[in-house]
Amino acid sequence: MAEIARAQLDQLDQSTLRQAISQLLVRYGIVIVLIVLVLAVSLLSPLVRDGQQLFLTPRNLIQVALQASINMILAVGMTFVITSGGIDLSVGSIVALCGVLSAMAMRDLAIGAWGGFALALVIGALCGFINGLLITQLRLPPFIVTLGTLGIFRGAALIVSDGRSVYGFDRRFQEIFSARLPLGGDLELPVAVLIAVVIGILAWLILTQTRFGKYTIAIGGSEETARLAGVPVQRYKLGIYTLCGLLAGVAGALLLARLRSGDPTFGAGFELNAIAATVMGGTSLSGGSGTILGTLVGSLIISVVQNAMNLFNVQSYWQQLIVGAVILFAVVLDQWRRRQSR
Amino acid sequence: MAGPLLYIDRISKSFGAVRALREVSFAVHRAEIVALVGDNGAGKSTLVKIISGALTPDSGKLWLEGREVHFRRPADAIREGIETVYQHLALIEELDVADNVYLGREVTRGGLLGKVTGWLDRPLMRTLTQQAISQLHIKIPAPNRSVRRLSGGQRQAVAIGRAITWGHKLLILDEPTAALGVEESEQVLLTIEKLRDEQGLSMIVVSHNMQDVYRIADRVVVLRQGRHVATLVKEETTPQEIVAYITGAKSQAQPA
Repeated sequence: MAEIARAQLDQLDQSTLRQAISQLLVRYGIVIVLIVLVLAVSLLSPLVRDGQQLFLTPRNLIQVALQASINMILAVGMTFVITSGGIDLSVGSIVALCGVLSAMAMRDLAIGAWGGFALALVIGALCGFINGLLITQLRLPPFIVTLGTLGIFRGAALIVSDGRSVYGFDRRFQEIFSARLPLGGDLELPVAVLIAVVIGILAWLILTQTRFGKYTIAIGGSEETARLAGVPVQRYKLGIYTLCGLLAGVAGALLLARLRSGDPTFGAGFELNAIAATVMGGTSLSGGSGTILGTLVGSLIISVVQNAMNLFNVQSYWQQLIVGAVILFAVVLDQWRRRQSR
Repeated sequence: MAGPLLYIDRISKSFGAVRALREVSFAVHRAEIVALVGDNGAGKSTLVKIISGALTPDSGKLWLEGREVHFRRPADAIREGIETVYQHLALIEELDVADNVYLGREVTRGGLLGKVTGWLDRPLMRTLTQQAISQLHIKIPAPNRSVRRLSGGQRQAVAIGRAITWGHKLLILDEPTAALGVEESEQVLLTIEKLRDEQGLSMIVVSHNMQDVYRIADRVVVLRQGRHVATLVKEETTPQEIVAYITGAKSQAQPA
């Protein structure tokens, strides 16, 4: 009797263990992808140069985070938009327009470093507001509207700057917004990483704990049901696109500080990396469910892959191809684990 | 109080060349169930959407407790205590039970910060949801369960639970039993009767199921091709007669 009971118990333990593992995979699949990727790169990187660890050093990891930070900020905005069932293709152009206008205003109008930062945010929010207005008032699909404003905002950046980079603006802007805060030892935390993390935490709280986040999910789940339940759908959609534009403004300001010039061609293709990070993280392209944590991890994966390819001296043409393949792989994996969870 | 709860007064609505409703009038009294029946395309859905504020009529008026009301959006009707349970658009799959019950009417944490940020008071909303739904005949899983995993009857219970939490005057139920099995249908019908008899709620029930209509309705309003063709009192009619009016085999002088 006792043996049968023990056998049953063992079986139970095994099945619960298997269940626990599959649940872990389903919930944190993308985190596991990141961990495996980091382990693989850490093991391989000493082979490249004299057995010295190149990847898993605090300094390089901070570099990875810095490379990820701008995409993270864009992807957080994109997560709200995609969760609401929309898309924003114009964020890369907003980055350029904010950078150029902010740099020109600091150079020509002497509005100061903080003035330049605030201006980038205001312009970004305004661009997002325009997207939202076109989507809600003309009732056009977000894909079409933001495809149009992708061209319009980029064109505006080229026109105001006459197609040239803008230099010679307030030096303090770089000092403040590409500063590195001492962490002890010889380690320093870039301001962009700090801002990205703070934005990530705030966005996570907004999406999961507030009315704004709940309505974002509800609108993405079923816009008509939300409207019939009394949700002011148009007003919240306007807010969601404005938020996405505002975050693109933050990204534009940080890029301006890091590159020390405002260039109308910056940010081209950033929208695709932001969408990739969001979808890789597990936010559904059909709307209704989104995860900020997943988005942050998705941004890190892209950044780790890019960093590793630099360490391994992969030709830049190949880098694009490989990043694309990694994105596809991550999404296929995500689809698989979703089917498992049904 | 004298007079009907709701009076629908010569409502008309066209979509392009299609005249969906032509001068439809009828009344709903207190603690009364009015069944709204008609063939597909008779105008039932359009009328329901007008009463619930999702559409505005081209002409005609709505009188609630003797006062003319204008509903420009669903929130206007909701504010007047009129709740609608739509057949396909009742719940958001991605939200849990309590989030659905409180959709559009969230309770936020107190204090300035709670108000400004719209910080949801989920524990309170879950407790209140539990209380609201425990009045119904149907058992619902915990308020923090995802709606996606509920059965058809459980979803209908959540949707009705949501409606009675807010609708203190009139409930509009769109095909409440269409997607349900026999046992779940019975539970929903019992719930509807209980709401009328114990809480004195008025209801407009849209249904294709003549047995259900005949069982729960006090009066039956028949629409045909956008016109109101008959009002029948349950005690004076039969399911066969209702069907005859729906199909146009029988007609009544148009009620005033």
